[in-house]
Amino acid sequence: MTETRYDSLWHLVALGVLTPDHDPDGWWPDDVTRPSRVVMIDTSVAMDHPNLQGAINRDLAFDLFSTRLGAFAGLRDADRIGDLSFGNATALVAGLPGCEALLAELMQRLCPDQPPLVDGVQPATGPVFSAHGTAIAGLIGARPAVVDRAAAHLEDDDDPTVPLPYCGIDPTCEIVPVSTNFDDDPEQLILAFLYADLVRADVIVLPRGIPDPFRRTPELFATDLGSATLGQMVLPCPVPDRDRALWAELAELIVKLSLRRPIVCAAGNENEDYGIYPASLASDDNGVIAVGAVNAKGWPCSYSPGSGLTVWAPSSDGTRFDSAEVRLDPTESRYDDHGIPATHQNARFSHYQIISTDVPGQGGYAASPYTGPEPEDGVREYGSYFCRFGGTSAASAIVAGLISLARGLGQIAGNADGVEAKAWLLAQAQAPNPAYPNLLVPSLGGRGYQAVGQ
Amino acid sequence: MADFSILRSFSFMVSADDLDLVEREQMPLASAMSAMSAMSVMSARTALNRNRNRNRNRNRNRNRNRNRNRNDTANAAATGGILEPWEERAALYALRDEWMNLPLALPPSLPELRTQAVELLHKQVLLAQAPHAIRREEILIEAELELSRYLRPYGIETHGGYDATIALMLTVLALTDEIGLYYKARWNVPRPNQVEPRLRPFLPAPAHASYPSNHAFQSFAVAFVMSRIIPEHPGSSELFQSARRIAENREWAGVHYACDTAAGHSLARMILPVLEKVLERQMLAAQAEWL
Repeated sequence: MTETRYDSLWHLVALGVLTPDHDPDGWWPDDVTRPSRVVMIDTSVAMDHPNLQGAINRDLAFDLFSTRLGAFAGLRDADRIGDLSFGNATALVAGLPGCEALLAELMQRLCPDQPPLVDGVQPATGPVFSAHGTAIAGLIGARPAVVDRAAAHLEDDDDPTVPLPYCGIDPTCEIVPVSTNFDDDPEQLILAFLYADLVRADVIVLPRGIPDPFRRTPELFATDLGSATLGQMVLPCPVPDRDRALWAELAELIVKLSLRRPIVCAAGNENEDYGIYPASLASDDNGVIAVGAVNAKGWPCSYSPGSGLTVWAPSSDGTRFDSAEVRLDPTESRYDDHGIPATHQNARFSHYQIISTDVPGQGGYAASPYTGPEPEDGVREYGSYFCRFGGTSAASAIVAGLISLARGLGQIAGNADGVEAKAWLLAQAQAPNPAYPNLLVPSLGGRGYQAVGQ
Repeated sequence: MADFSILRSFSFMVSADDLDLVEREQMPLASAMSAMSAMSVMSARTALNRNRNRNRNRNRNRNRNRNRNRNDTANAAATGGILEPWEERAALYALRDEWMNLPLALPPSLPELRTQAVELLHKQVLLAQAPHAIRREEILIEAELELSRYLRPYGIETHGGYDATIALMLTVLALTDEIGLYYKARWNVPRPNQVEPRLRPFLPAPAHASYPSNHAFQSFAVAFVMSRIIPEHPGSSELFQSARRIAENREWAGVHYACDTAAGHSLARMILPVLEKVLERQMLAAQAEWL
């Protein structure tokens, strides 16, 4: 019998982070001596969301979408960026001349006397179009909150406050959003990863793919058609030599950086073997972590392979109807039982979905029923503050948050590198489903994944 | 410090259409709060997975796509496309201080332009050869900036139900056309065939200055705008490739230098935050067609 309602924090209970009563399970925020710093390379974030107060480092939030060398949206009213205590990435770029040159430019840009915005170019960080990043940030580090209700919507006997009982997996962490566009531009992503190193990220999360024309589908470049490879012949535009070199350096940079700091990558939502690029860079001897999605019942989500990745984490399921698997949702209104083979896997489908923070108001995945701007003095509805989310984006955010929490709690040593952090993660992982022995789901304390909704 | 007492006392419970705020004893909250809960119905829209969106797109058969392939706003107005975007133009000029002095690189000097024109001569020779027949066709189609190259990466070239997305693209093209002309007039850079008479452009060179390329600027502006609306859609990266191809085709046609293309890209990237402010309502309407 399908439960009609379920806990929005089911994934945290399943991973042993919260008890079913929503207490921290075997840990306490006081135990965190130094909050972890998570750098998320994604879209911008709606930083004023009430559940993200205290979670976002506004001073370090960095926008590469519209400004080549980055803009500090959170400091836009300041005359200069000041001393932001950047680290040193010189050793990281050794042997990578393109990265070396970009690091030199970036370090100039990050001098304390530099302005937050470059030559008047605005950052592309408006909250309205920050849905993906807001959901990612919430899954990692949202805090429970109580907010005021907008005065205009209060009756005399109303409680003037509203609780927003939502929580990320590590509500003690600090998130640094590095916002990017989706142009096929290696320079932008090199700068993003260099910045993640300069701010001394404890964890880097990349809940997106990288459109590297050479590494996205490398097999095309192994198919020789005589005068050129198939990969070269289908490129809409020739890739300049400089960009080709930078794409190669970016791949090296990611691996080198992962030796210092774990890099958690979404593995893709289309059953890609070994994950999309750069999740596909994950190997035993680096700190790249390719994350697949597992549903609430403990089956790989329909869009995620059951092997070939580093770990899996909970996410929303999807339906599938092909030769590999028939997994449909018979409760769906458009369900049609014609053509469904006698042997199917419909029972594997889970209707449990991941809930996360969303852009308040008209923007984001869930829109407010009110079309006007949000009130300045409180909330008048909370539905637009949260959304259903999913894919391996959600799963990667959850894994990044788990590493962050473990780092904060000292379960991962403060000086651990990316490989050691990944080793900790794998040590906490178990296979919840005997049918998929390689599908490893990490949990806090390694207690195993508590499947729900069977 | 995270306050876990909030989580102990209250929960959000998820159902098919709602996110219900309940006390932990599972009792409904007071009536006023329940009303609020009912008011805050969560949309079933989800970022779950791309396949779901794609499948849904395939199921859309309504042919409401009347604006498709009508990129000339004057023409479109006459034939039932978008109306002259006067409100958007007014909003754009209200923010003129944010876009009239963007730090676009100065154009190359004439000797540098002559060097770049040699590369265009090379392209001119190649374009006449058989393997480039497809590019010749593209150049002719793209001369009028029709929309198929922007719609194809998203698989909606022949689909209805994306009126707001198409209207948004047309509006972006209209606004950026004007902005591009403003920047062109600042430097008044001669067209390639004016500095290299041996160039015989495949298309008539437009009667305005060369730098930056408006085809590049407009196409990349559409790509950057879509990159804000549906960044996770694989078509959003493909659209940049499409924009790049359109821009480079103008070089192959002999009407733009490579530096014009680069400047168009740079200007589109820098101006996106302004377009986002001016076009927020239109971008939200377009986004609603995808989520």
